[in-house]
Amino acid sequence: MDRADVGALVQSAVDGDAAAWKALVEGLSPLVWSVVRAHRLSDADAHEVYQTVWFRFAQHLGRIREPHKAGSWLATTARNESLKVIRGWQRLTPTDDPHLLDRVSEDRTPEQSLLDSEEAAAQSERVRRLWQEFEELGERCRQLLRVLMASPPPSYQEVSAALGIAVGSIGPLRQRCLRRLRARLDARGAS
Amino acid sequence: MNHIDNGDNGSNGDNRAAGADDGFGGESVLDEAEFGAGLLEEELRQAAAILDPVPPELRRLAVDAYALHDLDARLAELTFDSLVDAIPVRGATDVPRMLTFRTGELSVDVEVTAHGLIGQLLPPQPARIEVLGGPHPAAPATLTADTMGRFAGELPRTGPFALRLRTGGEVVVTEWMRA
Repeated sequence: MDRADVGALVQSAVDGDAAAWKALVEGLSPLVWSVVRAHRLSDADAHEVYQTVWFRFAQHLGRIREPHKAGSWLATTARNESLKVIRGWQRLTPTDDPHLLDRVSEDRTPEQSLLDSEEAAAQSERVRRLWQEFEELGERCRQLLRVLMASPPPSYQEVSAALGIAVGSIGPLRQRCLRRLRARLDARGAS
Repeated sequence: MNHIDNGDNGSNGDNRAAGADDGFGGESVLDEAEFGAGLLEEELRQAAAILDPVPPELRRLAVDAYALHDLDARLAELTFDSLVDAIPVRGATDVPRMLTFRTGELSVDVEVTAHGLIGQLLPPQPARIEVLGGPHPAAPATLTADTMGRFAGELPRTGPFALRLRTGGEVVVTEWMRA
């Protein structure tokens, strides 16, 4: 979302404009969801983190110092709350089993929701392949791309806040990850 | 939406066509590489919209959360969370979560256990406390802190919670937390 717009919408929402708040939710909730999903939270945990982030944003609305950076505020909060969930798992189990971090949602597989979507029927095979190759990318690339694919596209400042990586490294890393994904798709197509 | 060049992020000083990535030569090659990358990213964006969209019920909850925008209450911010600020004892599992919220002179210590919550107001004082569970409170559970500032009660089964305290003439609400 355009940052000037975000700043103006936050100000209007502070002044009591519910439509402005709704526009903020429309424009920024895909970013929040992407950050949560980038951290591979289960459905239940992802829902709780998402709610916590938005409830807290509503509380802080009139207190946010830089309203035009509300997207970064949301991304940072979503990241911190996601990391707390992951710390909670580690605390519950004495191991450092990295597979724990790979816990994904079990109640709804991508394949199922794909079948649910008529819109996707025509190109479902292509989308399915793309998603599978994306899921199998290294963790760093998978995380970055999951945040970048929020709609509307996040700014690099928001991506930086979401993942705790320097703004300057996002461009090169993005290029590399997309190139790697392209190579995997091409290799698969050729075989 | 076609944001291949990410032109809507005008203030994003670092444009996405940031090349200098590796051995590419002329600019046209770079542009072409960026064009391809932009297309692939857009394809991923469409795939995410189909395979992993924001669940509609969550979007609605976020819209409804506007009701939680409460300027009359003082906000007690989280200043300690054992999940972040405490080093776990080796081998200790199932340790209770300890949270501290502060605003001005008032602090609220909360311990979350499997059975609910136990709390302490400092400085010690009586209070009426509502346990909020979201933007649509059916009828929030109400607790009472005694003259020593102690309180205990249950938490919502799922979802984040916040405490709304009335002490003396004041209303204080804690930041929303996942238990």
